[in-house]
Amino acid sequence: MSKRLSITLLTAPAMIVLLGVFLIPMLLMLLLSFQDENEAFSLKNYALFVQDPFYVQILWRTIRVSIWTVLATLVLGYPVAMYMAQATGKMRGIVTMLILAPHLISVVIRNFGWVVVLGEKGWVNESLIALGIIEQPLRLLYNELGVVIGLTDSFIAYMVLALATSMYAIDPSLNKAASILGASRVRTFFSVTLPLSLPGIIAGTTLVFSLSMSAFVTPALMGGTSVKVMPVIAYEQIMATLNWPLGAALAFLLLGSTIVLVTLYTKLIETKRYKEVFAS
Amino acid sequence: MTKVIDVELRGIMKKFQNNVVVQDFNLQVEQGEFVSFLGPSGCGKTTTLNMIAGFLDPDGGDLLIKGQRMNGVPPYKRELGMVFQTYSLFPHMTVAENIAYGLKLRKVGKAEMQERVKRVLELVKLPNVADRYPKQLSGGQRQRIAIARALVIEPSLLLLDEPLSNLDAKLREELRDELKRLHQEIGVTTIFVTHDQEEALSLSDRIVVLNHGFVEQIGTPLEIYNQPASEFVHTFIGKTNRMEGEVSGVEGERLTLRTKEGMTIHAGKQERPFAHGQKVVVFVRPEKILLTDTAGPGINQVEGQLQLASFLGSYTECEVRAGGHTLSVKVQMSDRSAEREPGTQVFCQWNPEDVLVMPAERG
Repeated sequence: MSKRLSITLLTAPAMIVLLGVFLIPMLLMLLLSFQDENEAFSLKNYALFVQDPFYVQILWRTIRVSIWTVLATLVLGYPVAMYMAQATGKMRGIVTMLILAPHLISVVIRNFGWVVVLGEKGWVNESLIALGIIEQPLRLLYNELGVVIGLTDSFIAYMVLALATSMYAIDPSLNKAASILGASRVRTFFSVTLPLSLPGIIAGTTLVFSLSMSAFVTPALMGGTSVKVMPVIAYEQIMATLNWPLGAALAFLLLGSTIVLVTLYTKLIETKRYKEVFAS
Repeated sequence: MTKVIDVELRGIMKKFQNNVVVQDFNLQVEQGEFVSFLGPSGCGKTTTLNMIAGFLDPDGGDLLIKGQRMNGVPPYKRELGMVFQTYSLFPHMTVAENIAYGLKLRKVGKAEMQERVKRVLELVKLPNVADRYPKQLSGGQRQRIAIARALVIEPSLLLLDEPLSNLDAKLREELRDELKRLHQEIGVTTIFVTHDQEEALSLSDRIVVLNHGFVEQIGTPLEIYNQPASEFVHTFIGKTNRMEGEVSGVEGERLTLRTKEGMTIHAGKQERPFAHGQKVVVFVRPEKILLTDTAGPGINQVEGQLQLASFLGSYTECEVRAGGHTLSVKVQMSDRSAEREPGTQVFCQWNPEDVLVMPAERG
């Protein structure tokens, strides 16, 4: 059997499924987004986006929440990945399991857990008041902070695993080499570890950004009615208002913005030097 | 001229958990000296090097570099150069940036930095690779750059951690000669860790032979080779024929020995005194045995049958069954009679001076 034929046959089942349940529905939705109430061709759904600042604000909020989530997962996940990179194989396995374990529980349940923890009578506020640090409970839910906390919890595992994978590839003796040449630990981190983990940073940030942009459950549960993001209003248009064309248009605007932003971001970071160093 | 001591180890001890891996290591390395730590894996040579570099701290004893006590001083404050087995060049930096890394940390001016990078690249004979990335270089070139990076900061001490182990045989020899040339040219005090006795013998002013965390012997290559302090040193340094037996006669400095298998061997002057009847181990190196077709005049002579001959280029390694022993014999290619067929009757002879006698270990 030729190599080409075997590749075709091996990928065929997945291709058929993707075609049937993903590509064709997507194309149908795309067509739908260019229709008005009378099913005639129209650009009005996209025009609305330009005319009504409400939608632009929601897109901007979606991007803002996603960027904060990326930064939070990166800052919190990086030390964990660093620990994993220098740990023994057994400890790596244990940490990986601990990171993935929360995902065994439905995201809905986990978000309600956060509601219990972060609410006005949750233990975070109660303990801060008991310690005399604050007098009034902090608002940790039903605002952008609440959404970012929820999304960070949901997606930090992806960030850690992407970072750790790139750090496993760093030869530990490079740290020794930098040290003997006169670099302190901090200097070694910024001149060796950080630049060499760049592929993991790019993978982790783009992954978490895309996931946050399209997240629905967490913003709906932890943002409430006051922090609406693009997936939530697209859902409302389709399920509540029954305005499918507008819902479809909002979904494609979200998809388009995510693709443009991720492309710009990777183009910016992946310089000529980056490609020369990390190309296999 | 007074000797300047660059490195001094005083009773250095290191343990991992309850395992003592280096014990009572005492050594003085003179300025400009090339000292090798030689031993099998797990003998403590790399652990000791890591203590000198500062990656590990000794659990006992004192470490002095240039007269300064270094215990607890982090590696980045020790002003050392080090070359690693895996090259350890920074993959995201060009060759020039790799070499300049240590200079940058020392805040050397740009013009001087470029000059020094250029000079050291010429020193390692790779003047045209400054703008390449490490992965665009061959293994041998990478190790030369790693050496250049270590030397450019003009370290007080150069540490080499099995730098040749990852190279193939031909390159290894080439780079070994290169190390020798560099050391002669710049004379930097060097500590070299290796498990390869040939590397140690050819490069070193002195060799420290280590086994199970203990120093077995410290000496010049010739001393290590000719006057091994222990059976371990003798067997580790090269192939040998080992025979057990006892002393059957003592006449002045000369000894007569009788092996368990019943062969009589005459031995010349030994380092240690031996008594009649003492249990001993007798060694003769394969290259000291002469193979002849007819009996010769030597007093150590035994007739045997050639069993195996492996042609290895410059010499042939033979196995001869003689006097109840299987003797390994190295026959140089210059010996025209090297091409013998297995099964041939031959005579093995060797000088009493080439026989090494050691007391048998108790137990």
